[in-house]
Amino acid sequence: MTKSHPSRLLIVDDEVQIRRLLRVALETEAYEVHEAATGQLGLSEAAGVHPDGIVLDLGLPDLDGREVLRRLREWSQVPVLVLTVRDGEEDKIAALDAGADDYLTKPFSRRELLARLRAVLRRTQPSSEETIVRFSDVEIDFAARIVRRAGAEVKLTAKEYDLLRYLAQHRGRVVTHQQILRELWGANAEDSTHYLRVYMTHLRQKLEPEPRAPKFLQTESGVGYRLVES
Amino acid sequence: MSTTRRTVDTPPAPPSSWKEYVFAAVVVTAITTAGLLLPESYYVSVGLIYLLAIVLLCLRVGRGPVLMAGVLSAFVWEYIFIPPHFSFAINSLQDRLLFGTYFVVSLVAGQLTARIRAQAQNERLREQRATALFHLTRALAEAKTLDDAVFVALQQMDELFGAQTSLTLADENRTALIPHFASSYSLEGKERATADWVFRHQHNAGRFTDTPQASAGCYLPLVRENETIGVLGVKVPPDHTLTHAQQNLLEAFARQLALSVEREHLRAASEREKLLAESEKLHRALFDSVSHELRTPLAVINASADSLSGADANLRGQLVNEIRTAVRRLNRLVGNLLNQSRLESGTLKPRLDWCDAGDIVNAAVESTSDALAGHPLTIAMPEDMPPVWADFALTEHVLANLLLNAANHTPPATPIFLTTGLEPGGQRIFFAVADHGLGFSPAMRGRLFKKFIQDDATSTAGLGLGLAIVRGFTVAQGGEVVAGENPGGGAMITVYLPHPSPKAAVQA
Repeated sequence: MTKSHPSRLLIVDDEVQIRRLLRVALETEAYEVHEAATGQLGLSEAAGVHPDGIVLDLGLPDLDGREVLRRLREWSQVPVLVLTVRDGEEDKIAALDAGADDYLTKPFSRRELLARLRAVLRRTQPSSEETIVRFSDVEIDFAARIVRRAGAEVKLTAKEYDLLRYLAQHRGRVVTHQQILRELWGANAEDSTHYLRVYMTHLRQKLEPEPRAPKFLQTESGVGYRLVES
Repeated sequence: MSTTRRTVDTPPAPPSSWKEYVFAAVVVTAITTAGLLLPESYYVSVGLIYLLAIVLLCLRVGRGPVLMAGVLSAFVWEYIFIPPHFSFAINSLQDRLLFGTYFVVSLVAGQLTARIRAQAQNERLREQRATALFHLTRALAEAKTLDDAVFVALQQMDELFGAQTSLTLADENRTALIPHFASSYSLEGKERATADWVFRHQHNAGRFTDTPQASAGCYLPLVRENETIGVLGVKVPPDHTLTHAQQNLLEAFARQLALSVEREHLRAASEREKLLAESEKLHRALFDSVSHELRTPLAVINASADSLSGADANLRGQLVNEIRTAVRRLNRLVGNLLNQSRLESGTLKPRLDWCDAGDIVNAAVESTSDALAGHPLTIAMPEDMPPVWADFALTEHVLANLLLNAANHTPPATPIFLTTGLEPGGQRIFFAVADHGLGFSPAMRGRLFKKFIQDDATSTAGLGLGLAIVRGFTVAQGGEVVAGENPGGGAMITVYLPHPSPKAAVQA
């Protein structure tokens, strides 16, 4: 993927080794990298250098990562990718609720890191009014509300289309069950994940090459879903 | 309140009732009336008939009535029948001798009777005591726990002595007394003080003892090997008393109880020792396997990193793959250790939600793909598989551990089967992982789900935490794990999760 303009990134992590590795991985992708070792430094650095994106470790020595997120969100909407060693989905959901755009569990691969970063950075990049999103052999035409697979139109119910559209708009990023339910069913429907499962199964059957082992409409263990483009 | 000790070696004969006196008087009166019908010269025969009646009375009534009958009949005989009639005077020497002999014989007869009756009574008491002791020892032997035993023993004593009983046992340091819950009265004030005194001095105290205290009860120490291990208290109502035999019985009871308590102490001590040895063994095993499991991948990473510089592109690719595999293995291991500690800390709270069974299976297969390599995996899931009510992450760990377990304990390239579906009846969802390995040895099956347990013969990898986590996570979700045989040979472990009906909150 070619970049029109290199993005400025801030890494907030107390582990020197992680910072070093991230710097190597990101600089080879032409990102401009800044570092901070503590939450406080991270916050002042964020105010000083105005990064286009932040990679934030949740386990910081001075401030809890979520607290950093909360303070950051008081004045900035900069995309944040959270790094965590914690497996528990509660922590991930809590970070997402606190304003993180996505998360990555340590240990992670370089490929994953770059894909996630690209996806969270896209949120603030001026999208050229995309009306068509493609993944696999599927093409979603937002303007015409039409979904094609290998050129042929796929019949989707209204809810299936809404679900697909929501995932496509956030493609590459995790969306939690709660976010989807709020978006599709309104504020009071946060418990009806049962229906969400059923719609997702239908969508996969209609769009995935192998619905049993979905490649594009992925499940994030206990957290939500993610539409992956490749 | 009497606190003097009673010293009666043979128990007193039971007091005769007034009926016996009346009966004896009636007999004497009847013979007298009959005698009056006889000619006057038959007065010696009448005397013999009186004597016969006295001897026969001995068989029926107690000492008092016999003595009464003897004295009464002697005087009636002398007054009415011995000449001169209706006078206490006796004329001839022969009659005096006759009267004297009669008087002595009747008194002796009465005395003998009393002794025989007392002996019989004694015999009966001995038997009662033997029976009571027999019942006690049997109850103590049958009791499964000390509490059961004490409960039975105290209940028996309550009934036997018509008393209230209390038992206090020494604590572990042998410094204080702890009341036993089966006691029928609680020790307070003076009673408590007396019990404590008994505990310290290892000597009886209280009522009926030679060291009376200001307490209403009588307290006996339970002594084993010169150590007081408890105090038995008996409180008899103030108007009742304990016979010497009952006091003996009480002491016998105390000895039996002491034996029981000691037996329990010994059992507990040996149990503790066994546990300690077991946990030491466990600790060693854990230490060994943790260091092995952690160091092996670290060694792989280290060696691969060393070889990376100077390796050609092909070798470099291989080395990088080795590192990646080692890292995944380490990561899984750390995950399982964390999971185990989550289980043990009791902080595990499943977040149940509707999940796609296929998603869970995929995630589990994905996270174990490197370890499963070489084992063909067959996944079977019905077309109409409903969403399952589960904690996604926990269930994923469960399945991943089952798959790893199957892969690690079967020969390379043998197939593994993962089957999931709704049980007939629709009450439960099942996930079954089967293999074509050796199956579980019978000895293995019982301890399968304990942590750090490995079947030594086939152990190749892992900490032995896998199945413990499988069970812990399944049970946390309200499910159940069953280990069985694969019908086609090998082992099969099935995880069942409850399948509630979907909530009827349709909002779509």
